[in-house]
Amino acid sequence: MNGDRSTASVTTVAAPALAIGEVSAAPVTHRPSFWAILRRKPLGAASGALIVLLVLTAVFADVLAPYDPLETHPEIRLAAPSRVHLFGTDDIGRDVLSRIIYGSRISLWVGLLAVGIGTVAGMVIGLACGYFEGRIDLALQRLMDAVQAIPGLILALAIVSVLTPNTTNAMIAIAIVIVPGNSRIVRGAVLSAKQNRYVEAAQALGCRHLAILGRHILPNVTAPILIIASIWLGNAILIEATLSFLGVGTQPPTPSWGLMLSSTGRAFMEQAPWLAIFPGLAISLAVLAFNLFGDTLRDAWDPKLRRNG
Amino acid sequence: MYKYVLRRALLAVPVLVLSSLIVFGLMRVMPGDALTALMAESGNIGEKELAKVRKDLRLDLPYHQQYLIWVWQMVSLSPGDSLFTGEPIVVSLKKAIPVTLELTLLAMVLGVALAVPIGVLSATRQDTASDYAGRMVAVSGLSLPDFWLGTLVITFAAIWFHWIPPIGYTSFWDSPGRNLQQFLLPAAVLGFRLAAATMRMTRSTVLEVLREDYVRTAWAKGLAGRIVVYKHALKNALIPVVTVIGGQLGVLLAGAVVVETIFALPGMGRLTVEAIAYRDYPVVQTNVMLVAGTLVTLNLLVDMTYAWLDPRIRYQ
Repeated sequence: MNGDRSTASVTTVAAPALAIGEVSAAPVTHRPSFWAILRRKPLGAASGALIVLLVLTAVFADVLAPYDPLETHPEIRLAAPSRVHLFGTDDIGRDVLSRIIYGSRISLWVGLLAVGIGTVAGMVIGLACGYFEGRIDLALQRLMDAVQAIPGLILALAIVSVLTPNTTNAMIAIAIVIVPGNSRIVRGAVLSAKQNRYVEAAQALGCRHLAILGRHILPNVTAPILIIASIWLGNAILIEATLSFLGVGTQPPTPSWGLMLSSTGRAFMEQAPWLAIFPGLAISLAVLAFNLFGDTLRDAWDPKLRRNG
Repeated sequence: MYKYVLRRALLAVPVLVLSSLIVFGLMRVMPGDALTALMAESGNIGEKELAKVRKDLRLDLPYHQQYLIWVWQMVSLSPGDSLFTGEPIVVSLKKAIPVTLELTLLAMVLGVALAVPIGVLSATRQDTASDYAGRMVAVSGLSLPDFWLGTLVITFAAIWFHWIPPIGYTSFWDSPGRNLQQFLLPAAVLGFRLAAATMRMTRSTVLEVLREDYVRTAWAKGLAGRIVVYKHALKNALIPVVTVIGGQLGVLLAGAVVVETIFALPGMGRLTVEAIAYRDYPVVQTNVMLVAGTLVTLNLLVDMTYAWLDPRIRYQ
């Protein structure tokens, strides 16, 4: 959950930094193509397909959803799954399938934006820490330690409650939770990229800091950033669902998977278990897809983890 | 070793100070202070009374003084009273901490008991059906939301076995049987996530260790497979696993928030969620700080254990 921050950091912190060293030492042509990796990693390909499906569902929600997700039909409340309503209806007769289809928009939107903001902020801090080192590094990293000392979900809860609970604030909270781990990974990658001779050469030639960072160091850091971002996407979706479940994320009647589970799923779970099963399944599948995809990317980019590599 | 311990302990101090500043600052940016929200709920109260309560709670002091008073309260273990219930925070914590402690400890025992054997099995039978099954269990543990798992467990226990966990908290010392009935399911749900992370780590470290020279030597001198794996490989493979378990403590405490809410256990997590809902900020800042302090201390202990087990770390 969480805010699963520590797993992400424990299993991945060292890996991308290593990948940088190895990738930069080996000729670039040895890196297998994207498609070759997917062919060799069926699980990664399947998760990629699932992600594409998810994105398409979110984009074309209004075409795909058989009913209006907000339209109520009290006369058919708590109807079991049938041909007319594939996933059944909820306590005020709204179609569960349509709500799940629309819910994918909230999950993906919050996930993408939160990870985007968190990644960029973490990258800027990580670049500054790794490149300048010294006092800036010490101060910023201690600040990151301090943010990380508070468990992600609890920090997000506190932030959201301070800024009134809604989808946007949940997104901001998740972004803040993501920053420290990202900054640390980028910092590590920058420290190792700085060892390269061409960086030294650029410094000796008197290039400006910003030019060195942008032209020579950033390209070395993009692979780990992408990998971590893809792993974080799953977690961000999970945290958004958890916040909504606890009542401090997306507010009713907007369809959000976590909210669907808490508002109707729990209240009617014995009478109408489909209200709890389908939204949960949607969250799990989305998170699973991003976790597996992130794992595949990491394996592919990190020669040390690659089998027979 | 002493030098290392001292250095690590000193590094923890600024982290704690900064966390306390973050928590304190966060509670002060709340739109409209908590007091106004509280007063609005309790009916019409005049400006005078409001000013008096504000003074009693020292909300009229400048921020830096409020912060110093709060830090002193935390250090002297007297964090004041709840704004909402009026109960001293120490009293509510005394009731809530044992619940969360029991839940997380039980979750940890269940999680590790599940994770290590499966992780070893997965590694020793790499790329077989049992390895894939183990890895799928691990990945699903990281993907299934614990609030969903908790809801499903309660629902299906009720539908299939006509059994619901006893309501209302009973302490272990009053009735161990009833207490375990209340705690086993939530601990299992919470432990599953921990198990997933630990399983993955165990698998990868055992795989790594199995390729070491000394393990090859052990095979070469004709030792039985069991002895090679459990006596030679596992011992060394478990060191990083201990760190992962240490790193998962934060996840466990955060998970406790959700699991306690679902299973209606009156622990720290539920106390915090309720306090957040009522904007009871003395309780929120005390609880969050307590969690941060516990985690920083535990991580310090994990690091020290690690340094003690592996002398190379001390000299880095």
